[in-house]
Amino acid sequence: MATTRPAALQPESAYRSPNLWLEALRNLRHSPSALLGMIIIGALVIIAIAAPIFATHDPIKTMIGVPGETGRLPSKPPCIPILGCEEPQHILGLDLNARDLYSRVIYGTRTSLSVGVITISLSIIAGTTLGLIAGYAGGTADNAIMRLMDVILAFPALLLAISIVTILGPGLTNALLGITITFIPQYARLSRASVLSIKEQEFVVAEQALGANPLRIMLAHILPNAITPIIVQGTLGVGTAILDAAALSFLGLGAQPPTPEWGQILSESRNYLFTSPHLVFFPGIAIMITVLGFNLLGDGMRDALDPRLNRN
Amino acid sequence: MLKFVIRRLTFSIPVLLGILIVTFTLARAIPGDPCLAVLGERATPEICETFFRRNGLDQPAPIQLLIYMRNFAQGDLGESMRFHRPVMELLVERLPTTVELGAFALLFAISVGVPLGVLSAYRHKSALDVGTMIGANIGVSMPVFWLGLMLAYLFAVLLKDTPFALPPSGRLTPGANPDPFYIVAGWIAEGAEPPGLLRFISRINTLNAILTLNWELLIDALRHLILPAVAVGTIPLAIIARMSRSSVLEVLNQDYVRTARAKGLREREVVGKHALKNAMLPVITVIGLNFGLVISGAVLTETIFSLTGVGRTLVDSITSRDYTLVQGFTVVIAAGFVLINMVVDILYGYLDPRIRFN
Repeated sequence: MATTRPAALQPESAYRSPNLWLEALRNLRHSPSALLGMIIIGALVIIAIAAPIFATHDPIKTMIGVPGETGRLPSKPPCIPILGCEEPQHILGLDLNARDLYSRVIYGTRTSLSVGVITISLSIIAGTTLGLIAGYAGGTADNAIMRLMDVILAFPALLLAISIVTILGPGLTNALLGITITFIPQYARLSRASVLSIKEQEFVVAEQALGANPLRIMLAHILPNAITPIIVQGTLGVGTAILDAAALSFLGLGAQPPTPEWGQILSESRNYLFTSPHLVFFPGIAIMITVLGFNLLGDGMRDALDPRLNRN
Repeated sequence: MLKFVIRRLTFSIPVLLGILIVTFTLARAIPGDPCLAVLGERATPEICETFFRRNGLDQPAPIQLLIYMRNFAQGDLGESMRFHRPVMELLVERLPTTVELGAFALLFAISVGVPLGVLSAYRHKSALDVGTMIGANIGVSMPVFWLGLMLAYLFAVLLKDTPFALPPSGRLTPGANPDPFYIVAGWIAEGAEPPGLLRFISRINTLNAILTLNWELLIDALRHLILPAVAVGTIPLAIIARMSRSSVLEVLNQDYVRTARAKGLREREVVGKHALKNAMLPVITVIGLNFGLVISGAVLTETIFSLTGVGRTLVDSITSRDYTLVQGFTVVIAAGFVLINMVVDILYGYLDPRIRFN
């Protein structure tokens, strides 16, 4: 009877990647949606940084009385060169105040991208801190923090943001704060859940037994293990934050004129929808593409970073 | 099951209390003098003093809060400072618009989203699947207000004078003033004051039309509802389609589905009886969570389609510092939100016994 010997095990490095992030990056490369998302966001970042190069005009300058300008207002049928009309100066035509719409949309990229990224970063910092404290401390602190989060979650997000901005006064900074607050509970819940599951694991218990400072345990051991779902949720959240900011501006509570912000451009021109729909069309498309970019990247990241999905 | 329901109910009480306190505080924190905002130039110090006394604003804030809570428990939301009418009455008048809009939006989202998601999971990686997922990704990325405006332009301007034309504003054709069902049925004499519940139901135009068998009115109301409901329902639709797809995909790979197939069950029974039942659990949660999106969507859509619903009234009242109305409407919306989440949780516990016993 022949003795069967088990096949020699491969070295560990062959089936286990040294770093979760490297593996995730490798997975991301193979995800078409993540790639498309990265391309869209990359392009938008370049447009935002180099807005003065891409824009053909000053986004807040009215073109009335400027030499060589026709001063064609949108009450006339829209004249859009890329749709085959000969008027080379203004790619998307002029808006209601005779400003160059194309340049306004280009500059709007800056506002929307920064609003999205800043809001989510702030709410991740605040939410994760609260979640870490709640999860690690437990007891009264946990109860107090999480019940407050429940109350915030009990309000429809946009409604709460509207109320907060009304109290603080309209404006982009306050809109940003209002949206930040509505996002905090998501990250608090996520990080708390991660902490609760990691807290009981042996490496944390060992650290505690060694008498390590709780702050050190939280920051050096628990946080790195809890951060993945937060980053995925954050990427998806940037899109929602941009949509909310645009909605607040649309209601007149966010960016104030003449700041070029997509929601604000939409709000200015919505009463002229039936005569000059292009004024409404293009800023909306810009919002949609941006949000789509973040959603695609977020979805791709979720698939890439979720170890459970890698097993298949 | 009863134990689970009671436990879930008790969980909601602190949240409801929290909502009352937060709304109360938020409404007080709105900057500006309500007397000046409401009375404008007529606001002299003496008149303002009377105004404050009449609206209970001369009491210290904690006392105001206690009075507010007591009245709330009695169903009294106070009197709107701007309209000089009870907030409850305004709610009965305007909530039906929002409820009808929200219900049709959700109906649209569920009736299109669930089948699309299930089909794309069943035909995984087919053209239908890829198309649905691209559509769903675009759907969740669209601003509601932009979609509303674009739909209005498409159906009211571009398709004008075609059979597809749809009205871009209002709830009924101007001039239409349908009789409430309780008058048509002769329950209440014309001129008499009917109970709030009857008025509430009669203001849901589609329901009123069905109750009075007035089909012309029903068609008119539906035609006005299509555009705003599609605008509000698109994001939930995309989310529901994605959730149904991933949930069905997961279930289809389970052992019990293979067992069902191995037993020789017909495919329709495998999918309908075994797979769908289990796959629908997460979908129900997502539908419940979408209530918030529907409310946010309604605030924006009501503004675009000139509908005098709760969302639009609320936004207008915030700017005119109508404390009592802002408080009342916000509390009712948030409480509705909590209630719906509770119903979803209970439903979930009913469908999945594991949750009940945990």
